Amino acid sequence: MNIEIVQGPGNAAAKVSLGANETITAESGSMIAMNSHLHMNTTTHSRGGAGGLLKAVKRMFAGESFFLNHYKAGQEGGDVYLSTPLPGDMMTHELNDESLIVQARSFVACGDDVDVDLGWQGFKSLLSGESMFWIHLKGTGPVILNSFGAIYPIEVDGDVLVDTGHIVAFQDTLDFSITKAGKSWLHSFMGGEGLVCRFHGTGTVWCQSHNPPSFGLQLGPMLKRRPR
Amino acid sequence: MRSEIQGAPSFAYIHVDLEPGESVLAESDAMASMAADLDMRVRFNGGNIFTALLKKLFGGESFFVNEFQNNSSGSKRVTLVQGTPGNLRQVDLNNSSVCLQPGAYVASSPGVKLGLSWAGFASFFGREGLFRLKATGTGTVWYGAYGELVEKNVEGDYIVDTAHLVAYEPQMRLKVQLAGGVFSSLLGGEGFVTRVEGTGKIIVQSRSLHGFSRWLNPKIY
Repeated sequence: MNIEIVQGPGNAAAKVSLGANETITAESGSMIAMNSHLHMNTTTHSRGGAGGLLKAVKRMFAGESFFLNHYKAGQEGGDVYLSTPLPGDMMTHELNDESLIVQARSFVACGDDVDVDLGWQGFKSLLSGESMFWIHLKGTGPVILNSFGAIYPIEVDGDVLVDTGHIVAFQDTLDFSITKAGKSWLHSFMGGEGLVCRFHGTGTVWCQSHNPPSFGLQLGPMLKRRPR
Repeated sequence: MRSEIQGAPSFAYIHVDLEPGESVLAESDAMASMAADLDMRVRFNGGNIFTALLKKLFGGESFFVNEFQNNSSGSKRVTLVQGTPGNLRQVDLNNSSVCLQPGAYVASSPGVKLGLSWAGFASFFGREGLFRLKATGTGTVWYGAYGELVEKNVEGDYIVDTAHLVAYEPQMRLKVQLAGGVFSSLLGGEGFVTRVEGTGKIIVQSRSLHGFSRWLNPKIY
């Protein structure tokens, strides 16, 4: 399988070239074009096995689709292009029997041997009052992610704070807690930064340059009310 | 202090590397990520509650700004960005000023003072606000807008569509007028425009959120 990010960073798409009998698992609705001989199969789980339905319910809870689509190539292989609704960049990351924590809206696709689950830290984030959900990707193979804006990695060595709306993904070698950005809670909320994620340890966190809620705050007041 | 704008032109953001003792000021919510040992403090926009209130009400700016101060012993990074997608510009002031459209300000170094001055009713009707934000002093100021930023040297006068003027040199004067005759101004969709008079540099944005929302609104049902 070969993955190429094309037309980045403004309006990126991922071109996935599948070899014979290879499969890519993608978020529902992310396919924009593909060879007609590819076989598409829709399930509630990323890999065969039990618990698929429960995972699907959890994904739905996180604002992701209930279903995952699997694109399988025949003997001759084939291409599928994947994209997302938000303008911005995409990235690929190769997992080698390891884990990656992905902000739910950034997940696009992964290889067949990567397990997709929403179990990790989900409720901690919920209790903190932020509507943030994490997808836990685990296994071996490629992962495709998207962002609102450009993506920049931070190699954490010492502590780093990231605004909750700017996180794309991070390695699970990092500890993470939800905390305040300023010296005090009052400063953090008055300063408009509110809650941030504090990463501790050694590993990489990928950030998106732009924050969808911040854009919404500026655009929202100019939009008309939806008729009831 | 070292800084670098990346992601331009569609999604520009600023990496600012602060040396020990240095600080940078940024608008509320501009911080995307930062080293945890930088100290973030809230300040009234303009230094006191009165100016902050004026800026909030009339300058289209936030009530509070954040100050990021490096009290550690090494170089530390803070990454700043505006709320909308678009380009950013860095201006190095040397005992000089630049005037900014409401909402354009993103960040500045401590030597730059942000003031509010009367812009006139012309500016108000041009959807640029009654007051204008003026950055004065010696240091760096970063500003941006939705879309790409286009620089234009004006000699005499120049016409800019309303809500597309981002920044201009302080000696420039603004007036509002119809784009053409009464008939063509209304039917041609241009309506009012801003007339910039004087000799100096102006910055125009290629897109506007007003235009985008006008396009988007009929699609909401």
